[in-house]
Amino acid sequence: MGILEGKVACVTGGSRGIGLGIAKAFLDEGAKVVINGRDRAKAERSLAEIGAGDNAHIITGSVMEREVCEAIVDGTVEHFGRIDIVVANAGGAANHAPVAQLTDEAMGDALTWNFWHTFWTMRRAFHYMIPQGSGRFMSVSSLEGKVGKPGIATYVSSKHAINGLTKSAAQEVGTMGITVNALCPGAIETDVMMADGPSAAEAMGITYEGLLDMFAQESAIKRLMTVEDVAAVAVLLASDAGAGITGSLLSIDGGTAPY
Amino acid sequence: MGKLDGKVACITGSTRSIGRAMADAFLAEGAKVVVNGRDAAKGQECVAEMGGGDNVVFFAGDAAKQADVEGLIDFTIEHFGQLDICCLNSGGVLNTAPVFQMTDEEWNLEIDWNLNHVFWGMRRSLQHMIPRGTGRIMVTSSVEGKLGKPGIPGYAATKHAVNGLVKAAAHEVGTLGITVNALLPGLIETDIVRATGPDSAIAMGLENYDALIEMFASESAIKRPNYVEEVAAVAVLLASEAGRNMTGCMFPIDGGTMPY
Repeated sequence: MGILEGKVACVTGGSRGIGLGIAKAFLDEGAKVVINGRDRAKAERSLAEIGAGDNAHIITGSVMEREVCEAIVDGTVEHFGRIDIVVANAGGAANHAPVAQLTDEAMGDALTWNFWHTFWTMRRAFHYMIPQGSGRFMSVSSLEGKVGKPGIATYVSSKHAINGLTKSAAQEVGTMGITVNALCPGAIETDVMMADGPSAAEAMGITYEGLLDMFAQESAIKRLMTVEDVAAVAVLLASDAGAGITGSLLSIDGGTAPY
Repeated sequence: MGKLDGKVACITGSTRSIGRAMADAFLAEGAKVVVNGRDAAKGQECVAEMGGGDNVVFFAGDAAKQADVEGLIDFTIEHFGQLDICCLNSGGVLNTAPVFQMTDEEWNLEIDWNLNHVFWGMRRSLQHMIPRGTGRIMVTSSVEGKLGKPGIPGYAATKHAVNGLVKAAAHEVGTLGITVNALLPGLIETDIVRATGPDSAIAMGLENYDALIEMFASESAIKRPNYVEEVAAVAVLLASEAGRNMTGCMFPIDGGTMPY
């Protein structure tokens, strides 16, 4: 008997990395889960790997589009009949540069990918959660939602924005049985990190290996985090025991963030 | 198969309220637990209620006394052979007052109870955990570890202090397989709050106990106090294998009260 038995969740960007880890943890605890990704074949392979079966469903599309974010939430309700847990997990940034050289496009894309996607998904989720008087919304923010590093202003700004949105929304729906939280992981070597990390490192004037080492050295544990670390906190927040935790920016970072 | 099978825990101030909820949750997940409090009769009653057989024992002691705190750690190791999870949970105020009326006696009690107790327990635990290369230390701090309300200066000061201690210690032992975290609950209507809350309310310039509860609840997003079970669930996560990479964390369990 899992602690999410009877619950229905959706996870944006759930076909790999942290999102897939969260989806698997929810499935293991008895939830039904919709995952999202741009590539259906990849999502299908991921679900097969974790042995998801009929308790999982895929909705494809890019979270850079509002219609897709809304369709993920709506599609979850259509497929499984309800929605209890929404995780706005997708995110990242590309074309990193110091602010002096940063393009509008790079900043715009990061805000869309991280912030607007979270907002669109949250607003649609509340559309169902407020009338039903229950729900759990969480976003995958970042350590960089609390601190800043040179060369990645796009990522840092958009993750800080998510944290502000989280605090406001938590206050708005706090008495309605809905919690809103941001997970703030330290660096994890996910597919997105491997794809975008080299460009971020270059903007910081260091190598990719140097970037990973810098994150590890800033922590107390001197190593990178894992997707399972994040998934365990997501399960707690999604469960009944998480009802009293809202508006929190939870550090899952091996002791890196100063607050 | 529990998440804490084979683990041994001790919890200061655990015959009731938050500490008791942690003890119940740890036991349910397969851990052996030493519960602690000042009153032996209450302690035996607690052990009987928990129904854990040989997996639960009581150690009488006052968390404001160094010999008792260190005695609890030593007893746990002697009795169960090891210590994996040390929860420094006890704390509170007795006769709080605004700074200008605070007595030295109350101030010193709060320093011993809330801060020194944590230091004594942490130091003793680490002396056992560092050679073993594994361990979990958790401190029950408070929203007052980040905020400050009038009338409870000693509580706010000592809870801020334990948060600093947790951060420093987490970095000291971060690569040694040991995590050190603080739990920051919002107001919970525990026995101790019910006992000392009426006087604290007066010290804080409030009309009565109900006004105190209402003030804390209204500051949160959920507009209610928190529950002991909510704290215990976080404690289980941090104590379990899944919590191995979370350290130096000020974990909020406050219904959205703290601004950071």
